[in-house]
Amino acid sequence: MRRLFRSSGLRLLQLGLVGLLAIFTMGSADNAVRYNDLGHKMMCVCGCGQILIECNHLGCQYSEAELTELRMALHQGKSDTEILELFQAKYGPTVLAAPMLTKFNLAAWFVPPVVLLIGIAATIALVRKWRLRTVAMPVVPTTTTFQTARDRIRRETEL
Amino acid sequence: MTMIACGLLLIGIFVYVFYPERNVEAQVQKTRLDFLRERKEMLYDNLRDLNFEYRAGKYPEEDYAAQRAAMENEAAEVLAEMDLLERGVGAV
Amino acid sequence: MECDNRSSPNILQETVLLISIMPAFGSFALLLALALSGYNLFAGAIALRQLATGARGRVSPERLAETARRAGIGSFFAVTCAAFALVWAAFTNDFSVSYILHHSNRALPGPYKFAALWSGQEGSLLLWAWLLATYGLVLRLRHKVDVKLTAYASTILAGIQIFFLLLLNFAAPPFALVAGTVPQDGFGLNPLLQYPEMVIHPPMLYLGYVGFSVPFAFALGALMMRYPGEKWIHITRRWTMVTWLFLTCGIFLGAHWAYSVLGWGGYWGWDPVENASLMPWLTGTAFLHSVMMQEKRGMMKSWNVWLIFSTFALSILGTLLTRSGLVSSVHAFAESAIGTWFWTFLVIVLAVCLFTYILQRDHLKSEHKLESLVSRESSFLFNNLVLLAACFTVLWGTLFPVISEYVQGNKVTVGPPFYNRVAIPIGLFLLFLTGIGPILAWRSTSFKSIRKNFILPAVSAVVTAIVLMACGVRPWQDWSEGQGSLYSLMAWSLGALVVTAVGSEFLRGAGVISRHTGQNLFASMIQLMRRNTRRYGGYIVHFGVVVIFIGLAGSAFNQSTEQELNFKQSMKMGPYRLVCQDYSQDSNLNYDTEYAILDVYRGDKKITQLSPERRFYQASQTTSTIVANHSTLAWDLYVIYAGKDPDNGQPIIKVFLNPLVAWVWIGVLIVILGTFVALTPNMTAAFAASRTRVPVSEAPAMAMGKGGD
Repeated sequence: MRRLFRSSGLRLLQLGLVGLLAIFTMGSADNAVRYNDLGHKMMCVCGCGQILIECNHLGCQYSEAELTELRMALHQGKSDTEILELFQAKYGPTVLAAPMLTKFNLAAWFVPPVVLLIGIAATIALVRKWRLRTVAMPVVPTTTTFQTARDRIRRETEL
Repeated sequence: MTMIACGLLLIGIFVYVFYPERNVEAQVQKTRLDFLRERKEMLYDNLRDLNFEYRAGKYPEEDYAAQRAAMENEAAEVLAEMDLLERGVGAV
Repeated sequence: MECDNRSSPNILQETVLLISIMPAFGSFALLLALALSGYNLFAGAIALRQLATGARGRVSPERLAETARRAGIGSFFAVTCAAFALVWAAFTNDFSVSYILHHSNRALPGPYKFAALWSGQEGSLLLWAWLLATYGLVLRLRHKVDVKLTAYASTILAGIQIFFLLLLNFAAPPFALVAGTVPQDGFGLNPLLQYPEMVIHPPMLYLGYVGFSVPFAFALGALMMRYPGEKWIHITRRWTMVTWLFLTCGIFLGAHWAYSVLGWGGYWGWDPVENASLMPWLTGTAFLHSVMMQEKRGMMKSWNVWLIFSTFALSILGTLLTRSGLVSSVHAFAESAIGTWFWTFLVIVLAVCLFTYILQRDHLKSEHKLESLVSRESSFLFNNLVLLAACFTVLWGTLFPVISEYVQGNKVTVGPPFYNRVAIPIGLFLLFLTGIGPILAWRSTSFKSIRKNFILPAVSAVVTAIVLMACGVRPWQDWSEGQGSLYSLMAWSLGALVVTAVGSEFLRGAGVISRHTGQNLFASMIQLMRRNTRRYGGYIVHFGVVVIFIGLAGSAFNQSTEQELNFKQSMKMGPYRLVCQDYSQDSNLNYDTEYAILDVYRGDKKITQLSPERRFYQASQTTSTIVANHSTLAWDLYVIYAGKDPDNGQPIIKVFLNPLVAWVWIGVLIVILGTFVALTPNMTAAFAASRTRVPVSEAPAMAMGKGGD
């Protein structure tokens, strides 16, 4: 039974790892939706704190200008990364809605999953430890005092 | 006006806080017996729960027997100690 | 009073006088409250110290403790007077008070004048203090539950109260007066806040934040006095649940407010302030679960103590983040130096917690016998792990800009794309556990028994996934548009799993009762719930969470379009056609408004008329959007009047079609219902037995059972 648990635990872990990898490495690339996609990856810089394409200030000078630039850059056939870097160079790193995978910014992305994985490993270890404490069927005393006590307990804990 | 309102508030609260109270709630330390009672109640709840979940089909037979025996042993110990303490109190 | 027979000018004078005394009175009341809380803390601490060591002063420690308790109650009255004074100043348009000048104006409708109490820094701190005093009042009045433990908790609460009163007296006084001449009218309330929900959302949220002080105080007090047993958990259980409920309501009211007022088509933007409210919610939820392990099994004591400590610390941190200007946010208060105060307080709190913990940690050893345990207990571990991982992710994302500035010298934005990638998978894992937890039994030694109970939910998840794919949810086709549809597919399938698991759990339990009593299944189910309200109330909450997740998953399929729409022109969105009937303008004292009247057709049938608005508030010189929303179970038709095109004067209408949003709000209602069920006391087993048709042979045993209970 224990082996079964261990192997199923292992398999679960593997499955989880694969799933997490799949989830975190998903890329997106398609030309038709790049405008919308990139528009969601940047912020409006007017200070409203909204996603660029969702900025709902009518006549917001900043978002209009940014979107026009985005359209132009797409027209020029720049790649996603190039566009993001272009914007970053012009408006500063806060224009990106989430940091890119560069140097220290990697930490932003990888610390939470790593913490989760460490936590999962620790929890599995803890559960294993608990399981190893398996105690055999307790010895039931056979004295009459115990018998009466047990009968009383059973009566009192009926459904 | 300000002074009057503030003064009234101050005096009212002062009187309320320091008004000599005869029957102050005693700060009793929980006795061993109280503790055992709580413990018994908890064990009983757990046993009831165990019985219920067993009937709902959530335990294999051997698990149920082992768990029940373990908890019954513990509860019996608690009951015995309670008996002892209660008799002791009765004797005094 | 002697003013009965005065002439009317004198009465007027009197009123003016009364108006002007209110700020002074409020300030005095705050100072008095501080003194009372100080007395509560010191007298309480001395009395408890004497009781613990057996030393005696001139006054008996019991007496001293009683005066401390009363001082605590007195501080409630003092803070109430101060809050009343501020509300009074708002209603009498006393613009000599700087706070009122900046957060109210004459034309502001009554309820919003009331809301001015918490729309700014000083007022909301006063609300914090008042709510804390109210919780303290209830706790101190109910002290007979456990006199000594309550005395400890009351003293700790007084310590927290002192901090807020210090802020109110010295750092952010709400009754500060305007220098020089008093303006005729105020600058008005931020229009974003002039919405019905804003009148209840902040108090709810604060009730949640503040409420965690109570379980915190109890836990710290129990640790300080080395409270024997786990009864204190039983005492604080309801406090924690009520607090959790308030926080939940507060968060979702905020989401609903954002949805209906901010007008960007969504309800959650991963803004730092939203995150700040989510973090204590996550740890609070973890605490609600893991504390059951302690109550039932006497285990994980240290863990629970630290969970509630961190929940409290996070709710302070949340308040801090909103106020210090540390992180940039849509709804942060103006930057101020108040952050230093909060940091100091946070450090003191953590130091006290750590000190107490180190001193008393031997008291937290598990006392239960060694047993093997796997199933339910480990699911609780995973639940805690995932909730904490989620909390950590949110905290990490919120503070990363600050860390980044420190490490690499520039701020970055950590926005929705980050959370969508990192937090959603964790959320889905949590949803999975929501279903798995209930089907596991306590203290079972193997997973053997659960495999049987797990088949049905797993099958229903797979079937749901297949049906959804057949209906057109095909993540591999929408891959380019991101992982939204995959996540949604997973959320809905897992939702089916949880609903089946929870449903079968209800049915199994009801089956046992039904066999035992011969009642029909429905009556058995009611009885089942009444026997163990917390468990089955909790399952209802789980069900509500599933419904919320179903709604959240709908957001992957949001559509929107924007169009210039002139008189009699029409635009299409999904199955709907919007025809512009009219554009109009209106104005009242408080604001000017422009709005569109749009007829909504589905096919040829007119369904409803929507009128999205755009308001301009005179006092604050700002505009705000009023969204028009046609909500159905399938989707919301969410329409915004974006204003006129600056070039050609054409009105612009923006339309969103947001699937399943209504499910989020319905889910919240189910969560509230479940929490109420969990809050009702259990029907005792003995009582239950006496109400059932008991076979004659068992009757004596039952009667004895009653005696034993």
